[in-house]
Amino acid sequence: MRGGLLAEFADAEALLAAIPRLMEHGYAAVDAFTPRPVEGLDEALRLRRPRLNWFVFLVGLAMALLGLGVQWFCNAWSYPLHVGGRPAFALPAFVPIMFESAVLFGSFAAFFGLFYLIGLPRLHHPLFDVEGFERASHDRYFLAVDARDPHFDRGATGRLLADTAPLRVVPFGRLP
Amino acid sequence: MPHIHRPPIHWRSLGLSGEPDEAVDEAEFPEGADRAPLAVSRRQFGKLLGASIALATGQGCTGRTPEQILPYVHQPPTVTAGVPTTYATSMMLDGYATGLLVESHEGRPTKVEGNPEHPASLGAAGVFEQAHVLGLYDPDRARRPRRDGAEVGWRQVLDRLSAPRADHGAGLRLLLEPTSSPLVHALVTQARRRMPEMKVAFHAACDRGAPIEGARLAYGRLLAPQPDLRQAQVIVSLDADLLGTMPFRLRHARHFAARRRQGGRLYVVEAMMSVTGTMADNRLQRRSRDLPRLAAALALALGALPAELVTACARVAQGADGADETWARAVADDLRGRPPGTTLIIAGERQPAALHALAYALNERLGNVADMGSPLGFTAPAIPGPRDDGAQQTLAALAGDLRAGRVDTLVTIGGNPVYDAPVDLDFAALVRHVPDTLYAGLYENETARASRWFLPLSHGLESWGDGRAYDGTVSLQQPLIRPLYSSRSPSELLAALGGVRQPDGLTLLRASFPAGVDWEDALSRGFVDGTAEPPAQVHLTPAAVAQAMGALGPPAEGSTALEIGFYLSPTVHDGRFANNAWLQELPTPVGKLTWDNAALLAPRTAQQLGVSDGDRVQVTVAGRSVSAPALVIPGHAAGSVSLWLGYGRHGAERLAEGVGVSAYHLRTSAAPWFSDGQAVKIAGRHELAVTQRHWTMHGRPIALAATREVWRRDPKVAEAHRGVQPSFFGPPQRTPALRLADPSAGPQWAMAIDTSVCIGCNACMVACQAENNVLVVGKAGVLVSREMHWLRIDTYFQGTPEAPTVVHQPMLCQHCEHAPCEYVCPVNATVHSPDGLNEMVYNRCVGTRFCSNNCPYKVRRFNWFDWSERQAANQGVVRMQRNPAVTVRERGVMEKCSYCVQRIRRAEITAREQQREIARDEVVTACQQACPTGAIVFGSLNDEASRVAALRRDPRSYEVLHELGTRPRTTYLLRLDHPNPEVT
Amino acid sequence: MKSAAASEPVLIGQPSDAELGDQLLAPVWTRLPRGFYIIMAIAGLLSLLLLALVTWTIWTGIGLWGNDIPVAWAFAIINFVWWIGIGHAGTFISAILLLLEQRWRTSINRFAEAMTLFAVVQAGMFPVLHLGRPWFLYWLFPYPAVMKVWPNFKSALPWDAAAVTTYATVSLLFWYLGLVPDLAALRDRAPGRVRRIVYGVFALGWRGSARHFQRYRIAYGLLAGLATPLVISVHSIVSADFAITQLPGWHSTIFPPYFVAGAIFSGFAMVLTLMIPVRKLYGVGNVVTMRHVENVCKMTLATGWVVIYSYACEFYLAWYGGETSEMYTMFHGWTTGPNAWVFWLSIACNMLVPQLFWSKRVRNNQWLVWVMSLAINVGMWSERFSIIVLSLQRDYLPSSWHGYRPTMVDWGILAGTIGLFTFLFMVFLRFVPFIPVQDMKELAAELRGSRASGTADDRKESA
Repeated sequence: MRGGLLAEFADAEALLAAIPRLMEHGYAAVDAFTPRPVEGLDEALRLRRPRLNWFVFLVGLAMALLGLGVQWFCNAWSYPLHVGGRPAFALPAFVPIMFESAVLFGSFAAFFGLFYLIGLPRLHHPLFDVEGFERASHDRYFLAVDARDPHFDRGATGRLLADTAPLRVVPFGRLP
Repeated sequence: MPHIHRPPIHWRSLGLSGEPDEAVDEAEFPEGADRAPLAVSRRQFGKLLGASIALATGQGCTGRTPEQILPYVHQPPTVTAGVPTTYATSMMLDGYATGLLVESHEGRPTKVEGNPEHPASLGAAGVFEQAHVLGLYDPDRARRPRRDGAEVGWRQVLDRLSAPRADHGAGLRLLLEPTSSPLVHALVTQARRRMPEMKVAFHAACDRGAPIEGARLAYGRLLAPQPDLRQAQVIVSLDADLLGTMPFRLRHARHFAARRRQGGRLYVVEAMMSVTGTMADNRLQRRSRDLPRLAAALALALGALPAELVTACARVAQGADGADETWARAVADDLRGRPPGTTLIIAGERQPAALHALAYALNERLGNVADMGSPLGFTAPAIPGPRDDGAQQTLAALAGDLRAGRVDTLVTIGGNPVYDAPVDLDFAALVRHVPDTLYAGLYENETARASRWFLPLSHGLESWGDGRAYDGTVSLQQPLIRPLYSSRSPSELLAALGGVRQPDGLTLLRASFPAGVDWEDALSRGFVDGTAEPPAQVHLTPAAVAQAMGALGPPAEGSTALEIGFYLSPTVHDGRFANNAWLQELPTPVGKLTWDNAALLAPRTAQQLGVSDGDRVQVTVAGRSVSAPALVIPGHAAGSVSLWLGYGRHGAERLAEGVGVSAYHLRTSAAPWFSDGQAVKIAGRHELAVTQRHWTMHGRPIALAATREVWRRDPKVAEAHRGVQPSFFGPPQRTPALRLADPSAGPQWAMAIDTSVCIGCNACMVACQAENNVLVVGKAGVLVSREMHWLRIDTYFQGTPEAPTVVHQPMLCQHCEHAPCEYVCPVNATVHSPDGLNEMVYNRCVGTRFCSNNCPYKVRRFNWFDWSERQAANQGVVRMQRNPAVTVRERGVMEKCSYCVQRIRRAEITAREQQREIARDEVVTACQQACPTGAIVFGSLNDEASRVAALRRDPRSYEVLHELGTRPRTTYLLRLDHPNPEVT
Repeated sequence: MKSAAASEPVLIGQPSDAELGDQLLAPVWTRLPRGFYIIMAIAGLLSLLLLALVTWTIWTGIGLWGNDIPVAWAFAIINFVWWIGIGHAGTFISAILLLLEQRWRTSINRFAEAMTLFAVVQAGMFPVLHLGRPWFLYWLFPYPAVMKVWPNFKSALPWDAAAVTTYATVSLLFWYLGLVPDLAALRDRAPGRVRRIVYGVFALGWRGSARHFQRYRIAYGLLAGLATPLVISVHSIVSADFAITQLPGWHSTIFPPYFVAGAIFSGFAMVLTLMIPVRKLYGVGNVVTMRHVENVCKMTLATGWVVIYSYACEFYLAWYGGETSEMYTMFHGWTTGPNAWVFWLSIACNMLVPQLFWSKRVRNNQWLVWVMSLAINVGMWSERFSIIVLSLQRDYLPSSWHGYRPTMVDWGILAGTIGLFTFLFMVFLRFVPFIPVQDMKELAAELRGSRASGTADDRKESA
């Protein structure tokens, strides 16, 4: 969000109370900023669950197979050697590394997948210009409406927010 | 290579240059030769190379042809770089010659093998012969002559020696080692012709006189007994270390094994367990001084002896206890039960002449003495026996002259009398009182330090010489390399004494060489055929024997005094090899002690003294005492403490310095081999570097052994320990490396070791060390169990600690078909070759040591340090001995037995060149080649007819730790003993 | 955990977001007592000693250690197994307890994870260091090589390499991910521009938006889900270094579970060793309460019993298998052979000491608990010593038996790793909040909610 209106609340309850009001008016581009995960916030904001877990699973699976492939290539295909009278392709012995590569790359997938999804790292954001927004990581709860929301109208939206009894309502970023 | 371009005169001879100017000798192989073989000494090496090629090919860079030395038969006359050449020569030890074939790489002697044609070797080479080559490259060898510590030129020395004397040599004494060398004796005679008053004395630490003296008692003249073990079904050894220290030991071992394979029987009576003792079917532990008693008892039990002999024996046999009686009776029955002329009773050199005489008499009684085909024959001794006349005198007599001040000049050539002369002579002091003393030796040792002049001797591999084998066979010693340092050979010095101003080893040898013998043939074979002494006709004079025995008298009543026994060290001999790193680090056959000397005693004696391994014991004989750490030896006779000679050196030999204590401090001329003494525990401990600390098998089937009785009842003893193990991965055919009995797979290498005839003599260990550039780690290394030997001999005792039976089990890489070491290596540094070798890829090894952990035989060795840089013993000239066909391993890599893969590949290449298959038994491993008894057999399993394949089919064949399913390629043959059940 | 019913809650009082934030962020910028820096200095010196000894070893060769043939593995591998084991409790707390929704994990999981991370750092050194030619370590990995000499994946060591690298990486990701929101808090609260920028960079621009939190929790859960089997696999694979051989005392199928149990056991002991001083030092007794101490004690006791069971199995199997060599190694070699006292020490520390945790009075005497935790650390090190050295000392052929004696270098390196571990841990304490702030706020909120709805959090927690 490049800009919009920001309402500040003293606690999570007030925030949770405010959100339905906006939803009733059909606002979609709404986001909350809290010092901690707040129970019920996702539902209130009607956030969809991303398919991160499937991505991680597939990456892990693929990498397990790759791990097996590498071991097969090295020991059984590229340069098979007679080692301890064991067969060149010894599946039981190859399992541990398959597993480890699955976990390693699965974790990478989860980690980087997350930051891809939430668009970080992004060191600067218009919200950071708002005086007192730093308390979002401390003890204050914020609600923001994106200016790009079709229903957004500086006056109306402002009033609507004011009705939810926030500590204050301030604009942020570039507004039309 | 400057000297190559010098005028040819420097090349005129090997040992010597035209004028004795140091320049040549200095420039020849200067100090650089013992510098690390890096950039620096590569130049040196070049020199050696050039020099030696010039030598070997008989061409200098000059057109002139120096004298020829000839390669062994079938060798090309020229040296091809990379192709080793073999020369026949001989090694002189204790005055007797042993024929050797020495392998030379570009003129560097690197490896010693036995000369199959030579009677003393029969193709085998013992530890001393194997280590001979390292002695040549010993960095501590003396470099140049000195007078009162200051360097002098050879000219002065030779002038001094050849200076004419007004007194006809009356004040001159010559002290030599006993020698069989015709050349030396000729030169001595020559010298005496010039100086008739001069007297010669012969001295060696190990006095070999008793058997010959015994013959004089029995037969009236000096004769050398010639036992032939092939002919003896039953051998009774009275303290005779036939297989260990006696002359002809290699020959005896070969013949003993041949007999034992057909089931002979060996009785041994001795105090300290010798190599021979470990092979006994029945071994009796008795103090050395009890042997006459036992022999007498045996004589009485045998009966049918001349009356006077019986009475004499009866006297001596007094106080023989029940055990002695039963033993004597049982043995006597056994001997009598055999056809005449099929047994042998032999006394040891440590025993008095009278006992030898008695032994001869008993052999006569058993019909063992006849012509050469019989178990015991006699010949004129190869070393003239001791005389005390105008020409020759004993060491004691010499000492007397020295004390009386009748001597102004003492010339000592070889030996180390100041160190090893009987302590009661106080030889060191005497030598110091002689106005002028010259000593010639390999090292500036104790004697050198006591003498005014020191003359460096050339090593046997550097100089011309000759000698005779124990049976008299004349053997030649030809040099394989020019002297590394400014040194001369004994014969050259004697010649100088005889007035020759510019003595030349070869000329001298040629001069003394019998006319009418083909010199070149003799040289190329290393000995003169048919020069063995003819058998002597002998007639026993029992009265003399009886008298001699009577002289021994009955044992002092109830003499409970401890007996102190002296033995030649199985590793450093009489001390002459004390600076030989291979031998110092070689575990003694019994005790497995390295880098040290110890007071060896029986478990019970140790208990009485209240000592255990490593506790200091003060051993006292006649007021003189030394303190040595105790080492308990199972099977050692109770009431006796044994000390090895040859330690406690204080010469210029750096490795030997401070190793062990010298037993010579206790050794008097009266009792050279054993005497009464005391031993008490004193404060302090001493860490002994023992390589095998556990003697029992803890009831595990590791080294199998059985008596013939058991074997006859159940010939399947070994069956449970061989054959295919059910494998998770199915039969071995599935892995192409192991396509057995499939000709297309080529040879499948395997080894079989017959523990029945393995005498534990260690020859294989040193051979392996020499062949495979196995480095030395020193005492500190052995103490933390980091020795590098690829091949070790595990010696297990069974039965009671007082009277155990022994099995020697050479343990080397088993080259398992399902090798546990291979599958745990993360980098494939140890893998299997298609011909069934377990290969160690040094370059690939990262040193995880996982393989060693998983090797159930623990035959892998790790380079904990860069041993070649860290250990003085591996540095300097020593590096010239390295086998160029074998990598010297880097720090941090694992190494182990390779079945001498370099020899296998060499054979393959030769075969390919000649477009043929590798012949049966063509590949011979170093250990196999050295083994005097032929206990080790190597070959291909794909060849049904090969000896190894046959031995694997033998019912005695078994695999060590068979239950682990490692499918070793090295298999063993169970040890079969043939004890006499009557003896308890 | 009924016995816990009467004990302290996981959070004392009802702190507000602000209070929690201030209290838990404070350590990062408030000045610490001199003692802290003295200990840090000592630890630093030990780290330097480690550096010196490692350099010397690589320069001269591992002959500087006491290893010999047959004892080709000793301190290096013992330390490796010990340290990596210690790490396991961290992952166990942060991952497994998370999935089990154990609330009491919240306040201790971050420094438990840090402990894991730094323990793995120590462990990671040894596989490299113990090589004869460490500079060829990369040969253990399949890199495209002209010579086509590949690693041998039938060996357990490449498994090890894979497992340890994976474990280190995943632990780092997991720990850092948990740290991000708090880094944002630090960014926003930090006095002074420099810190704000530094923390800001590491916070990656975290804004605490609902969307962030939603995806964040999914990812965090996924990582926990991956870390859980990982932590089991790592020590199983480490145990394979021994189990796949045929050495008596190593060749045993129960090693994987046995090692994992031992690992977590020792790890919890280390958690106690660190937790007790820290909560005193920072006066965070209200957040890291005696309840935490008690629960960790109970976990130690529980895993301790798994370890005891494994010991029993090991000896029983040796006896039941009836293999002479193995019976000898276990019943004579371990109990009476050279260095046998180390085995008895491990028995005392691992079997007897934890039994005191049955008593609530002991569990609540935190200094006694601390001493015991040290004893258990020693005991677990001795256990690894017994398994590795005592077995190697007595294998199949008595002829090759030999004892083992460590050198000063061995001891120095062990001490050095302990120093480096402490040093790194104190650096961590200094620069990031060692208690996850946003998680605590969430916990506090939950507790408020649950109190409101009148459910005793104890019962909920014991579920």
